[in-house]
Amino acid sequence: MELPFEEMFDTLPCYISVQDKDLKVIAGNKLFREDFGDYSGRHCFQMYKNRPEKCVLCPVEKTFQDGKRYHSEEQLRCIDGRQVSVIVNTTPIFDDNGEITAVMEMHTDITEIKDLQKRFEDSQNRYRELFEEVPCFLSIQDEDLTIVDANRLHREAFGNGLGLKCYEVYKHRSEACIPCTVLKTFNDGIVHTHEEVVTKNDGTTMNVLVHSTPLRDDRGKVTNVIEMSIDITAIRELQGQLTSIGLLISTISHGIKGVLNGLDGGIYLVSQGLKKDNQARVEKGWEIVLRNVGRVRSMVLDILYYAKDREPNWDILSAQTVFEDVFSLVKDKAYDLGIAFENEIDENVGEFEADEAAMRSLLVNLSENSVDACRVDTKKEHHKIILRLSGSDSHILFEIEDNGIGMDRETSEKAFSLFFSSKGSEGTGLGLFIAYKIAKSHAGNIELKSEINKGTRFIVSIPRKKTAEAVDESVWLGQERRKPHVEGEEDV
Amino acid sequence: MSEKKTILIIDDEPDTTTYYSALLEDNGYDTIIAENGEEGLEKLKEKTPDLITLDISMPEMSGLKFYRSLKENDAFKNIPVVIITGISKDFEKFITTRKKVLPPEGYISKPIERDKVLKLIGELIQQ
Repeated sequence: MELPFEEMFDTLPCYISVQDKDLKVIAGNKLFREDFGDYSGRHCFQMYKNRPEKCVLCPVEKTFQDGKRYHSEEQLRCIDGRQVSVIVNTTPIFDDNGEITAVMEMHTDITEIKDLQKRFEDSQNRYRELFEEVPCFLSIQDEDLTIVDANRLHREAFGNGLGLKCYEVYKHRSEACIPCTVLKTFNDGIVHTHEEVVTKNDGTTMNVLVHSTPLRDDRGKVTNVIEMSIDITAIRELQGQLTSIGLLISTISHGIKGVLNGLDGGIYLVSQGLKKDNQARVEKGWEIVLRNVGRVRSMVLDILYYAKDREPNWDILSAQTVFEDVFSLVKDKAYDLGIAFENEIDENVGEFEADEAAMRSLLVNLSENSVDACRVDTKKEHHKIILRLSGSDSHILFEIEDNGIGMDRETSEKAFSLFFSSKGSEGTGLGLFIAYKIAKSHAGNIELKSEINKGTRFIVSIPRKKTAEAVDESVWLGQERRKPHVEGEEDV
Repeated sequence: MSEKKTILIIDDEPDTTTYYSALLEDNGYDTIIAENGEEGLEKLKEKTPDLITLDISMPEMSGLKFYRSLKENDAFKNIPVVIITGISKDFEKFITTRKKVLPPEGYISKPIERDKVLKLIGELIQQ
């Protein structure tokens, strides 16, 4: 068969062939003949694909059936072994009676385009893999702060947050944080960095360093912001150990000053007694010196307690005595601020095994937190703190309840985190953190129930007997992440 | 020779009161001791001192509460008070400012310097 416009077809940079109803090639242009050889008596599927039988989806056959044009993408094999990617277009050829006598197949070589496409996809996959596997939490947010993409680590830590607001996912808040660094980046197009405490899906908290980076379109407009969070909890915990020593030193500075004063007094009495030959005064002075040396020893042990080398100093304690000591330590501060400070004691509560200094520190920390919560509350005229002591067969329960400012869900969740404070410049973010660590070092727990503007209740439960879980240095060092129990607001 | 001046020492720490009392008596003063603010108010009724040394952090009645009661009482408000404490001056300043009371006549931080204490007390009592 001779192709109409055969000369022109021979010059075209594509394969053109014509097949009859048996799919035998009856004509082919120059390029076709060069790459696929002599077509006489051969089927198209043999020539193009080296197949023994026709293709499953044969566009030529379909055109014979309904007279329509079809196109598809195919992979061809030349006689020299080359693989060629093509787009196939079929066109029916009619006789004078309008019957389809043959179908023309035109193949356009798209191998280069296919190669480019593959390289593009590979490159995209590499970037995706990088995005997925980078060892930090990545999320991409739109201007409404909705998360539109997130990497694997992010999904594992925070769940599938796609379509949710970042503040819901990271902080369980109902509104945007103030300030919001993502919005800052949307506004000024530059990278912002800040530190945050976020809550993971399993309820544990994490200190993160957050960078917000702009993503721009062709015209330079910021369309999205990448939020990259790096887990710095371990660094903060290490810092916490160092800082807690500093905190302790400042906390006991009053005591140290008292001890120095006592020593000075003792030395004065001894020296004056010797000068005046007054034996009674010498003895009195020496007694004071010895007592104050003892106080120094106990303070050093207190410092070591926080400096990790010291395990709890286990002792059988009267729960009531510990409770009353704490009550008496905190009540003046409360009374001075006009806060009613009451106690409810189950006098049959009995004894328990714990470190006395640590227990006192834990309870004073929580009580002073309540005093502060009442002090800063301007919405109520009268404030009250109740300390309760009770016990079960297995545990001693200390409760500290106040009607101060209370905490919202975010504050409750982070209350025991290192350096988290809702008290602005007045808070160090250490008090409740240390309290929680002490509870854990005794295999105990602190439950926190709070409602904003209504008040807060801490329930400290300490086992009566020292257990295997206690004294685990890893707990004391904070290597175990906290998961404080926080009740929902409706429970308060 | 003029009559000995009397100083009321209010501090909950017995070692401290023993020390201050010995120091002041060695330097020609009579002393009265009270363990807390409440006892201090009782002692005031028995004899009016010429000066009071006052600790801040004490059980029962704190030094601040005692100080406010003292300065609100016309009979005693002119007795000079020297606060001798280990707690921070900032804290003391915060509380006194908040409750709108006059500042104390003297403030000395623990551990005390004996010469400084005697000089300050001498000056305040002379006035």
